Amino acid sequence: MIRDITIGQYYMVDSPIHSLDPRLKLIATFVYVICLFIINDVYTYAFSMLALAGIIAVSKVPLKFIMRGIKSIIVIIIFTAIINVLTTKGTHVLYELGWFTVTLEGVYMATKMVVRLIMLIVSSSLLTLTTTPIQLTDGIEYLLKPFQKIGVPSHEIAMMMTIALRFIPTLLDETDKIMKAQQARGADFETGGLMEKAKSLVPILVPLFISAFRRADELAMAMEARCYHGGDNRTRMNVMALQKNDYYAMAVICGFVVCLIIIMLVM
Amino acid sequence: MDFMVKANNLKYEYTRTFEADKETRTETFLALNDVNINIKKGSFVAILGHNGSGKSTFAKQINALITPTDGTLWVNGYDTKKEEFVWDIRQSAGMVFQNPDNQIVATIVEEDVAFGPENLGIESSQIRKRVDSVLEAVGMSAFKRQAPSKLSGGQKQRIAIAGVLAMKPKCIVLDEPTAMLDPEGRKDVMETITRLNKEEGITIVHITHYMDEAVKADNVIVIDNGIVVMEGTPKEIFVQVDKLKAYGLDVPQVTEVAYNLRKRGINIPADILTPEEMVGAICQLKLTI
Amino acid sequence: MSIKINNLTHIYNEGTAMAKTAIDDINLEISDGEFIGLIGHTGSGKSTLIQHLNALIKPSRGEILLNGVDINAEKSKLKSIRQRVGLVFQYPEHQLFEMTVYKDVCYGPTNLGLSEVEIDQRAKKALETVGIGEEIYEKSPFELSGGQKRRVAIAGILAMQPDVLILDEPTAGLDPKGRDEILNAIDEMHKRLGIIVILVSHSMEDVARLVDRIIVMHHGKIVVTGTSKEVFGQAKMLESIGLAAPQVSYVMMGLKEKGFNVPQDVYTIDEATEVLYSMLKQVK
Repeated sequence: MIRDITIGQYYMVDSPIHSLDPRLKLIATFVYVICLFIINDVYTYAFSMLALAGIIAVSKVPLKFIMRGIKSIIVIIIFTAIINVLTTKGTHVLYELGWFTVTLEGVYMATKMVVRLIMLIVSSSLLTLTTTPIQLTDGIEYLLKPFQKIGVPSHEIAMMMTIALRFIPTLLDETDKIMKAQQARGADFETGGLMEKAKSLVPILVPLFISAFRRADELAMAMEARCYHGGDNRTRMNVMALQKNDYYAMAVICGFVVCLIIIMLVM
Repeated sequence: MDFMVKANNLKYEYTRTFEADKETRTETFLALNDVNINIKKGSFVAILGHNGSGKSTFAKQINALITPTDGTLWVNGYDTKKEEFVWDIRQSAGMVFQNPDNQIVATIVEEDVAFGPENLGIESSQIRKRVDSVLEAVGMSAFKRQAPSKLSGGQKQRIAIAGVLAMKPKCIVLDEPTAMLDPEGRKDVMETITRLNKEEGITIVHITHYMDEAVKADNVIVIDNGIVVMEGTPKEIFVQVDKLKAYGLDVPQVTEVAYNLRKRGINIPADILTPEEMVGAICQLKLTI
Repeated sequence: MSIKINNLTHIYNEGTAMAKTAIDDINLEISDGEFIGLIGHTGSGKSTLIQHLNALIKPSRGEILLNGVDINAEKSKLKSIRQRVGLVFQYPEHQLFEMTVYKDVCYGPTNLGLSEVEIDQRAKKALETVGIGEEIYEKSPFELSGGQKRRVAIAGILAMQPDVLILDEPTAGLDPKGRDEILNAIDEMHKRLGIIVILVSHSMEDVARLVDRIIVMHHGKIVVTGTSKEVFGQAKMLESIGLAAPQVSYVMMGLKEKGFNVPQDVYTIDEATEVLYSMLKQVK
C-alpha cells in the first residue's frame, strides 16, 4: 500500500529534465506553483497545462506512473470537489436538495480547484520523479544558504534529510521484523477494538524507539570518527554547476512566465 | 622504534548513573586499568577479550572518541588528550564499527565513501579520484551508484572500510567488524584488511571474537577487565589454551586437538594453528618412528 | 509432534517484475524430538523456510503439516500454531519491551489467554530453564548484559511451551563464553523437554557437536540432509556453495592425501583427539 504512493519517488531514466541542475528544478517548481495560484481563466489554465504536458513528455516519465500518484490521493480530490460544489453560492441553480444548492458557478469553481490541485501534485511529483533524493537535499541546502544569516541551519536541515532518507528502508525492515517477532509470541494486531489495537502497538513501538535511539547513537559516533564537524569548511564531491541545458531551461521558465502575463493582460 | 599507537599507563574511568530502590546512584567503573600497549607502524594487531573486557573502549580511545582519565595515549605521535589534534588523529587512525547499518550516512555508496574526505575539506576533483580508487581497492566499484540498503552485510562493511580509506589513514581500527556477518562476508572483510595491511602498509588494529581471524595477525593482545593480560605472536598466545579459556576465549579447533594430544603424552608441537600445520606436524612425527 | 513439508514453494512479490523464488519445491519430514541443524549461506532461503513453520509467511504453493494438519487451513488457529511452534529470531533481544524481565517473559503466555497462575508458573519455569535467577526478575531487561538479554528473549518463547523450538542464529554477535552458555542451554532444553529443536547456524563446529541431523539449503532448495558424517563428508560440495566443513575434517583430508589411512568422518575435537592419539601413540 505504502509503495503505491509515487509522490516522493524517483523514476530512473535518462532525460534532459533528469539531468538539469536540482536547484533550477526546485526554483522552477516553486515558480510554477505560484503561477498556479495566480492563474484564473480558461486560457491561462490551458496554457499552464500545455506547458506541464510538454515537460512530462520531455521527462520520459510514463503518464501511467504519474497517474498512479494521483490515484493515491483521489479521496482528497473528490473531497475538494464536493466542498467546492456545495459551498459556492451563485445565481444559476442547477439542482436543489434541502439545504444544499448546486449552482453552475459551484461546478465551475470545483472543476477549477480540482484541476489546480492535480496540476499542483503532478508538477511537484515531477520534481521528485526526476531528481534523486540526494540531489534534492543538495539543492535545498544550496538554496537555503542565503537564509543562514537569519538563523536557518541549511546544512543541518540537509544532513537530517539525508539521514532520514538513508534510514527509512532500514527502519521499515526493522518494524517488519519486530512485528513478526511479537506475532511469534502470540501478538494479535488485527482483531479487537480501537483501544486494544492501540495497546497492541506498544510491543512494537518500544523496541522500535529503542533501536532507533541506539542507531542514532552509533551513527553519531561513526560520523564523528569520520571527522564530521558540521557544515563549516566542508567540501562536496559533486559540485553543482550550471550546464548549457540549464541555461536553456532558465529561458524556458522565463518565457513561460512572460507568456502567462501576456495572456492575462490580453484576455 | 616508530609506533602507530603507544599507550602509557592508560586509565579510563566512567561513571554510570542508574536508579535502584527509588534513588539515583552512580557507580564508577575502571574500563581500562594501567594499559601499556605499543603498536608498531605497519603491523597487524588483533585484540581479544570477552564482551565488556574493555577492548572496545580501547578502540574508541585510539580514535579520540574518548580520552584517557589518566596516563597518555599517542596516536601517530599525537597526544589524544590535546584537543587541537583531534582531527589529525581521526584522519590518521580511521575506525570501522560493528554494525554495518549504523555507520553508513548517505543513500548512495559513492556519496557515503566521499563523506570523510568532504569533512576534511578536500577539493572535489580530488575526492572523486580517491572515491574511485578506494572502491576499487575494496572490490566494490560495481556498486558505486547503488543504495547501501540493497547490499549484504559484508558488502556494507567493505563500503565502511572504503569510507575510512578515502581519508588516507595510516591506521585502521576495526571494532568487531565481522561479528554480524555470515562466513562469506567475514572472509571478504578479512581478505580486504589483510591486503590493505600487506600491500598498502596500513596498520591494522582488529578487535574480534573469532580466533581464526586473530591467527592471521602479527601480534595478539588479550584484554580482561581492563588489563592487558597476554601479549605476543598468535603462536605464543594460542599455546596457552587453559589461560585463554579462563578469560572466556577460544582457540582454533586444531590447536585444541594438539593441546589434548600433548596432555596425553604425544610430543606434537603446541603452536599448531591451522589444519596444514597439523598435517605437517603429524607427518614429521610419523617419520621419527 | 512431527512436521511434514510437501512441495513448499515461496515466491516473493509473485507476479511482478521483482518476483524472486526464495523456496523452491521443498519436501521435508522432521520427526518427534529431533535436533536439526539448518545451514546455508545468507539468501539460501533458510529464514523464509523457518518463518513458514509458524505461519508468519504463507506458502505460494505446497503445505506444511503439523501432526498431519495443514497449519494454513484455518486462520483462527494461528495463535495455537504459534504457541506450538516457537520461533526465536536473530538478535531476539531487540524485541524486549517490558519494564521488567519477568513481565516481558509473561507477554507470550498472556497473549495465549492463560490464567494468571499458569502464566506465572510458565514464566518462572522458562526463566529457570535458560538460567536466569530470581534476583534478575524485577530488573529492566535493558540493564542486562548481551548474553543475559538474549537468554531472557529465548525464555519469552519457551514460556509459550512450544513443541517445536526454532532458533535463528542464536549465538550471532556473542563472545565465545556467551555462545557456549546459549548453546549449552539449548542442548539441555532439547534433552530435558524432548521437543523438536531446529538450530540455524553458520558455525559448522557448533552444528557438528550438537545436532542429530543437518539440512543444507542452497538457492531455495535442500541440497543434502543427513547426519554430520553424511553431510560433512561432502566438504568439496559444501565449499562450492559457500560453506565449509569443521576445521578438523580438513586435517583428516590432508592426512589421507599424504597416504595415511585415517577415517574421514571426524568432525569434533574429541573425535579428532581419539583418532590422532591412536595413530600416534607408538611415537610416545
